[in-house]
Amino acid sequence: MGSKETVNMVNKEDFIKNTYNDPTIEKVITKKDLNKMVWRSLMLQASFNYERMQGGGWTFGLIPGLKKIHKDKEDLSVALLDHMQFFNTHPFLVTFVQGIIIAMEENKEDRATIRGIKVALMGPLGGIGDAMFWLTLLPIAGGIGASLSSQGNVAGPIIFLVAFNIVHFGLRFFLMHYGYNTGTKAISSLKEGTKKISRAASIVGLAVVGALIASYVNFKLGLVIQAGEIPVNIQEGVIDQIMPKLLPLAYTFFCYWLLKKGKSPLTLIGMTVLIGILGSLVGLF
Amino acid sequence: MFIQALLIGLWAGIAGIDQFNGLTHIHRPIVTGAVVGLILGDFTTGLIAGATLELVWAGMVPLAGAQPPNVVIGGIIGTAFAILSGQAPEVAVGIAVPFAVAGQALITLLFTAYSPIMHKMDTYAMEGDTKSIDRLNYMGPVFLFIFFFVISFLPIYFGAEQAAAIVGLLPAWLIGGLGIAGGIMPAVGFAMLLKIMFKWTYAPFFAMGFVAAAYLNLPILAVAILAVAIAGYDYMAQGKTPKAATAVATGIDEEEDYSDGI
Repeated sequence: MGSKETVNMVNKEDFIKNTYNDPTIEKVITKKDLNKMVWRSLMLQASFNYERMQGGGWTFGLIPGLKKIHKDKEDLSVALLDHMQFFNTHPFLVTFVQGIIIAMEENKEDRATIRGIKVALMGPLGGIGDAMFWLTLLPIAGGIGASLSSQGNVAGPIIFLVAFNIVHFGLRFFLMHYGYNTGTKAISSLKEGTKKISRAASIVGLAVVGALIASYVNFKLGLVIQAGEIPVNIQEGVIDQIMPKLLPLAYTFFCYWLLKKGKSPLTLIGMTVLIGILGSLVGLF
Repeated sequence: MFIQALLIGLWAGIAGIDQFNGLTHIHRPIVTGAVVGLILGDFTTGLIAGATLELVWAGMVPLAGAQPPNVVIGGIIGTAFAILSGQAPEVAVGIAVPFAVAGQALITLLFTAYSPIMHKMDTYAMEGDTKSIDRLNYMGPVFLFIFFFVISFLPIYFGAEQAAAIVGLLPAWLIGGLGIAGGIMPAVGFAMLLKIMFKWTYAPFFAMGFVAAAYLNLPILAVAILAVAIAGYDYMAQGKTPKAATAVATGIDEEEDYSDGI
């Protein structure tokens, strides 16, 4: 098994050449082709696996373009195999890499350059995408939708889907065309813009998370103690006087601290369930 | 019950595909909860349970490719149990999480099992056979559909009534405790967000958001608009700083962003 694997690997590496049988450069990619590849980009994770991650889906997304660009059959095979290798980026921003790479393929850049740019882009975009989508757009759209839904308002899921997908599909199409048009130049413009975009996203994201903690973490004590003759409600009489929503804030940062110390989210979930059950058993709530 | 379980299974299959392919986010609890509510004939409870579960999963997103407890299974089974057992949505959270954790483990297994397919694709690539590469990629979502269908259909078809009966037997402090834990649970999600996002540079904006909601009781949208205004001002103010200074700051901050983000 092991030796067979090695033979395979050697063959594959030999197979990928740096130059083309047919190096003629021709403008063949149309707007329609780019849009077709945007739709295909939705399948980026179709063959997701832990070995190559999105490699298969990434190649799937490029196929219409590659077929049009590489008319020589061997050139096409080499390009397909090259792209089939490990790939992983943010699923929402992938069209940007696709656009740039297709521009480079069309320009018949040598394979090593194409591969280099592809790998250089996929990592940073992963981080930016996480900040923009998972940490900004989703909590905002979800928070707004949930605040409507929790009152039984049917607009909740609708507004959530509309808001999310306007940004989602808008970016997918825009980034494909933008990436293709800027080609390799886009890499330097990305470096200039990255920091400002990610800072703006962080400002909005953190402000919203602050508000979400205050609005949606429901952590109140129901404990009443006797101070001499007078009953004192710990929550209203003491904690709320110090600061409203003190417990949600403190507990969130306690969890944050535990996560930073390397505790897994599952441990925190278990701990929260235990606090709820034990606290309710002893009458804390 | 068979028809309803079947519909929920089909819906879970579609949502399961969307979680990895398409990403229109019809797989989030805020949507799946409402649809499960429609299927089970209690739309309002579906909406409310969906909203509660949405917030629990707010921070449980696939950051850097890591798989959190499965949001599709959590949202659909959680809402279904809330409606079928007549319990408060907060209780549904306690029931949804164990299923979602188990679902996540199975998905890890599925993604491991898919690795050998890549070698098949390599062969097709070397042959220039794009049709076969397409076909192997289309198979992935089919597997996801079957997986999510089975895992949602079974507990709802076989377990719903029993679950309702079991929940009825549980002592009040346990139900109450699960409800309270469900209320606190979003803190875990927000802590996960903070682990990735929080930097002392941004602490003032966090404080502003918190105060706006805790003291002023502003709705989330109002806070978001305020924050966009501040970010916009900050963005433009930054543009005016001398190029050299920005470049230096860029270098430092960028590194931080990447190491935190990835």
